[in-house]
Amino acid sequence: MSRRYRQWVRQYQDQAWTVARYILKDAQEAEDATQEAFVKLWHNQDNIDPERVGPWLMKVTRNGCLDRLRRRKDNVEFDESYMSADDSGPLQGASNSETGLWLKRAIGRLKEPYRSLVVLRDINQHSYEEVAGMLELSLAQVKTYLHRARKQLREQLAEVRP
Amino acid sequence: MNDYDEKWEEQINALLDGELSDSNAEALKTQATDDRDLARAIIEAYQLQKAMSSVRVERAPDSLRKRLRAIPREYRPARTLRILQPRWVMAAAVVPLVLVVASLMQPDTPSAEEIEQARQDLAIAFAYLDRVGQFTGREIETTVGSTMSDAIAGSVIRNLKTQYETSKEKEA
Repeated sequence: MSRRYRQWVRQYQDQAWTVARYILKDAQEAEDATQEAFVKLWHNQDNIDPERVGPWLMKVTRNGCLDRLRRRKDNVEFDESYMSADDSGPLQGASNSETGLWLKRAIGRLKEPYRSLVVLRDINQHSYEEVAGMLELSLAQVKTYLHRARKQLREQLAEVRP
Repeated sequence: MNDYDEKWEEQINALLDGELSDSNAEALKTQATDDRDLARAIIEAYQLQKAMSSVRVERAPDSLRKRLRAIPREYRPARTLRILQPRWVMAAAVVPLVLVVASLMQPDTPSAEEIEQARQDLAIAFAYLDRVGQFTGREIETTVGSTMSDAIAGSVIRNLKTQYETSKEKEA
């Protein structure tokens, strides 16, 4: 039982952390939220289809993060130490890593569920069907929201990258 | 976002996801040669896709990795309390009930030793009756004569013996 859990930790800890980090934008809180999700996984491991552990865990992590956001009295907007790229100037000639840092910030500024959609689909590389299950949306909704999210990112990227 | 945008956005995303059919992809590219906005949207979408490839899943910090590995130790179920779970309590309650019911349903048949003991008791009783019969016969004989004694004592003993033999046949 413990061996199976350890395997899941190795397999999904980075993905869950990424989801929590993008939604909460606070390292300590993201750690707490990720740990909470894995505690739930530990307690429910006998009731979860082993084939669906990944989507289940991402859904639980995201829901936990959204609960935390709702509980926040003042919405801490961004952890500057995490994504320190300056997004004020154009990215002409910028390296891939600089573009990546700018893009991280832009993803972080998206509203829900757009932000989660981009993280789960474009960063964590889950299938559309899995994302639909995680976010409790229809497949058509996932596709529509995702291309709206991508359009926002595309337009922002075009502005800073003439 | 109007219907025009929605339609092309869907097509552009499908193109980037590799889900657009060849014929639809060709139609989109043909349309883009006459529509500068659409052409720019497709180029920007490709640029975003390229930029997105540099954003990867992030490595969880070591502090979190340590916390996740510690969960099985910290949240180990208390084994001593498992016995108090309702299903085990129910099972424990059922055991004596089953034993009582089983004992009540046992057929009330005597054991072989009990039958043998009863047979011996019966033999003693008949021996006693035999002696009592002889004694009674002598008493009658002295009172009313030998003819009457045979008629009374003999028939009593014969009746008892017949019943005894009949019961032995049934047991056999």
